Amino acid sequence: MDITLFLFQLMNGVQYGLLLFLIASGLTLVFGVMGILNLAHGSMYMVGAYLAWYFTNSTGSFGMAAVISAIIALLLGILIERTLIIRLYRRNHLDQVLLTIGLIFVFNALQSLLWGNDPLGVAVPAWLDGAIPLTDMIEYPVYRLFVSGLCILIAIGMYLTINRTRLGMLIRAGESNRDMVECLGVDINRLYTLVFAAGVALAAIAGIVSAPMVSVVPGMGEHVLISCFVVVVIGGMGSIKGAFVGALMVGIVDTFSSIMLPQISSMMIYILMAVVLLIRPKGLFAN
Amino acid sequence: MFTNRAEKLFVWVFFPLALLMPLLLDQNTYYVNKLATILILSIFVMSLDYLVGRCGLVTLGHALFYGMGGYLFVMLAPEYEAVNFWIYTFYVLAISSVVALIVGFIVLRTSGIYMIMITLALAQMCFYFFSDSTEFGGNDGVFIYVKPETSVFGLNLFDLDNPTHFYYLCLLSLFNCLLFFKLIMRSKFGRIVDAVQENPERTTALGYNVFHFRLASYVIASALGAYAGYLFALQYGFVNPSMLSWQTSGTALVMSILGGLGTLYGAILGTLVYEGLHYGFEHLTENWLLPMGVLIILMVLAFRHGLAGYLESLLEKRK
Repeated sequence: MDITLFLFQLMNGVQYGLLLFLIASGLTLVFGVMGILNLAHGSMYMVGAYLAWYFTNSTGSFGMAAVISAIIALLLGILIERTLIIRLYRRNHLDQVLLTIGLIFVFNALQSLLWGNDPLGVAVPAWLDGAIPLTDMIEYPVYRLFVSGLCILIAIGMYLTINRTRLGMLIRAGESNRDMVECLGVDINRLYTLVFAAGVALAAIAGIVSAPMVSVVPGMGEHVLISCFVVVVIGGMGSIKGAFVGALMVGIVDTFSSIMLPQISSMMIYILMAVVLLIRPKGLFAN
Repeated sequence: MFTNRAEKLFVWVFFPLALLMPLLLDQNTYYVNKLATILILSIFVMSLDYLVGRCGLVTLGHALFYGMGGYLFVMLAPEYEAVNFWIYTFYVLAISSVVALIVGFIVLRTSGIYMIMITLALAQMCFYFFSDSTEFGGNDGVFIYVKPETSVFGLNLFDLDNPTHFYYLCLLSLFNCLLFFKLIMRSKFGRIVDAVQENPERTTALGYNVFHFRLASYVIASALGAYAGYLFALQYGFVNPSMLSWQTSGTALVMSILGGLGTLYGAILGTLVYEGLHYGFEHLTENWLLPMGVLIILMVLAFRHGLAGYLESLLEKRK
């Protein structure tokens, strides 16, 4: 493989990894802070993609569609947390698994009811269309660069929010001791609603920005959910930093193995995960 | 043997009724086959229920063994020659036990949420292996052209191609499976398994190797899961990767939680109710997932101990 092709694939891998980080960070945040294992997290990604498709068609602008979809996702997150998740805090993981599998069913059914089962496509917005030449031979799409940039911005934003703000301090405190935070006079319920809604929004944003890059199809949520599990397990459950490193590893391994080892490429990330777990049974950055 | 009232009631109603079912249905092939599938699934769900509910080992990759039961038969049996059912049953149980020993060795190093995920990942790995393979038919799977014959010392006991015969084989298997788990739970081994789930530290302090008991339980449950997959492959005459998919594991987990974790007979109850609802909703609407999903959510919120728990509390109140 020559150096430009290598670079090109590396950029693809990193871009995919950054997108995975966006989804996995929500999963791991909700688990780390609230102890909730949300199997329906992938469905939120799917919801984002479908909403983006729907509003792009009805408003004619991808930018507008993205904003509307993200707001709807945020509200959806609040609704789900207030009505369902709130009843699960004192329950075990199995009840969470069962309820969120129920949610997956509901979202899959609604998707097929509202938008059918045919694959849909969203056009890349005109102002982000085009490609930057890397060398004489290879060009890189601007839209993919834009998505990577956005993901990096969100990652930095998350880092600063969690480590530098009062809200972040409360989130970190809630992670270690829920009751103590409550004793300090913090409305923990509102904090949890916020964290859950943020998790949903992160997955949905990933879905929204993915819509112009992939085809919007039923079942896209489940596929991405399993990849996110791998990311989160490699990084260590509940660790945002772990999710970042894990996502980049998975993204790069997945991209390169599909070129270099096509026979076993779909198994590669699971092999990676098994190797990491053999060395560090709780993931790379577990607390 | 069956200690609590709800369990006794269920076993005494279910098994006699199940025995009569082919007669009541006038040997209607479609329904007899459908019921046989439910019996097979019940075996699978019961083995998972033992693992999750009795041993506290939560796996989201139990379908690995279900699929393995089917694929092992395809790999071992010659394509156009009838093999002996009993010998191949033994092969499937033996080989899947060995695989379970190895897999168990890896996954039981972890626990809780990590075990959920690593079992899921290993099953997915296997799923992709078979769905990407060319020699095993990829996504379409493999057909089983000739079903095994069941002779013992030259005497053909029953015919696997006959739906009613097959149905009774499944029913007998399910009954034996329940009996087997009940006997295990009553034995010394079972009491230690209970102790391991209650308090691993204390059990260790008593001098038992917790890991060994978990591993033994994992092997037992996995081999029975493989047996269920083997029966499924024989019933439909094909295997395909969807048997290994995480949806298969997830649905089985839903069925066992629905029935009431750790109750064993609840696995049958959960499978029956889930499949019954599935069938009913499918006939009402193309989007059967919607009412199913809503119902699952409502059940989690309403019944904390599954249907078996609900049944038990009903009977308790009447006493």
